[in-house]
Amino acid sequence: MNATSEQALLTLDDLRVDFHTPTGIVNAVRGLSFTLGRERLGIVGESGSGKSMTGRAILDLIPHPGVVTAKRMEFRGKDLTTMDKASRRKLRGRHISMVMQDPKFSLNPVQTVGDQIAEAYRVHHKASAREAKERSLSMLEAVQIREPGRVYDLYPHEVSGGMGQRVMIAMMLIAEPEILIADEPTSALDVTVQLQVLKILDDLVTSRGMGLIFISHDLHLVKSFCDRVIVMYGGKAMETLPAGELDRAQHPYTRGLLGCLPDLDHPRETLATLNRDPAWLA
Amino acid sequence: MSTNSAINVDKLNVSFGDSHVVKDLSFAVEPGESYGIVGESGSGKSTVLRVLAGLNRDWSGEVDILGKRQPKVRDKAFYRAVQMVFQDPYGSLHPKKTVDDTLAEPLAIHGIRDAEAKISRAMQDVGLPTSFRFRYPHQLSGGQRQRVAIARALVLEPTILLLDEPTSALDVSIQAEVLNLLQALRHERKLTYILVSHDLAVVGHMCERLLVMQFGRGVEEMTAQTLAARAPQTAYAQQLLTASEGFRRAG
Repeated sequence: MNATSEQALLTLDDLRVDFHTPTGIVNAVRGLSFTLGRERLGIVGESGSGKSMTGRAILDLIPHPGVVTAKRMEFRGKDLTTMDKASRRKLRGRHISMVMQDPKFSLNPVQTVGDQIAEAYRVHHKASAREAKERSLSMLEAVQIREPGRVYDLYPHEVSGGMGQRVMIAMMLIAEPEILIADEPTSALDVTVQLQVLKILDDLVTSRGMGLIFISHDLHLVKSFCDRVIVMYGGKAMETLPAGELDRAQHPYTRGLLGCLPDLDHPRETLATLNRDPAWLA
Repeated sequence: MSTNSAINVDKLNVSFGDSHVVKDLSFAVEPGESYGIVGESGSGKSTVLRVLAGLNRDWSGEVDILGKRQPKVRDKAFYRAVQMVFQDPYGSLHPKKTVDDTLAEPLAIHGIRDAEAKISRAMQDVGLPTSFRFRYPHQLSGGQRQRVAIARALVLEPTILLLDEPTSALDVSIQAEVLNLLQALRHERKLTYILVSHDLAVVGHMCERLLVMQFGRGVEEMTAQTLAARAPQTAYAQQLLTASEGFRRAG
């Protein structure tokens, strides 16, 4: 292994996700390449740009009839393309985990949130039920839930959206993964709650030295939260640039996206609309 | 309180069981004005809109629309003048009705003749090709569906449009198209809008004045200029404004 792949947590080269449907092949991701270090990498794009499929492909969660191919897909030097399903499953949750968009649909409705977190821990670590519970309680505290003892015994429908999302984060981080993929983790939340959740995510990722892939449609949020941004359209990366320089983006698609956002500081009578160029997908 | 207001709400209260979701809310909207209501989930902003639209009959207080005191149950004439566009274009269109059926129904209810021409006209106004007329909702994109929902509201030629998060389910590029369409229609037809949204930038773009709601109360009413200058008076409005600017790393 050379030095660069030692540092990189994840290396993707020419990732493709194809769905073989009766009416033809749908190319959801078409040749995406990037490396992830211990950083906050943002992936932005509109619906159908393949950003969520990228996250799922890394975790081997693409449903049938989807097929994932890549020239190279490595997690810390381990080749994921040739790895068997069982090993991929071991990796999932333990080393790479994912926070989904909506806690309402992603938590088990008939199990208390505390038990779900403890279960996530015991799947990956040899631990007694008591130890797992203690760990879960301290994890709930780490995501700033004020009364972990009380919240532990609540069912998902008894917690608010923001609290549910914190429970999800606790569940995903309890196994101490090296990579966290967050798929629109705050889109279902109110702005003020959204900031609290992001703060927690940010603190945990920084203090534990994790790599974060932050999937979002919100350009402003990604600009202010991430280190680096990949802009996706139609399954391809249009451009990759440092988050702080998003305002100076060169690609017409990124410029178009930024241009069609209403802006309090630059009021306009008519918003710019996006003209999609088929050449971008060539 | 001017008597010529398009909409005048005085001491509106709404309760669902034990929870008091709108508390002593008063505001007025002038004819031709676009008025925004912003707030977080549970602030009661959509409930206010539903009361105005006559969809919620359990309220107290006074609601005057177009100079008429409104009863709990509205008459047919009311719905010709006031129409609503809902948040989710995937949920607000009947999946088994074509665009044509959807647009023909309000005309049939109100016994309006010449449906044929009116439907074509409404589709033209919202920028839908007439070839889409016999498509079902699942054959349309999100932006196209929202255009159908707007066309359905416009086909009766109302004077007031109630917009409940009309673009929050859409991609930003589609949002820009729908917002431009709404702006153009408003200028063309001198419509009065109430726009409910959680997105301050959208409200700042679309509205002249806005009301910030929290826990069912109107916290602050301000002009779009005040919003653009980031100069609200109340702490909550300020907090909401700061939160919507994006993430800020401490230190």
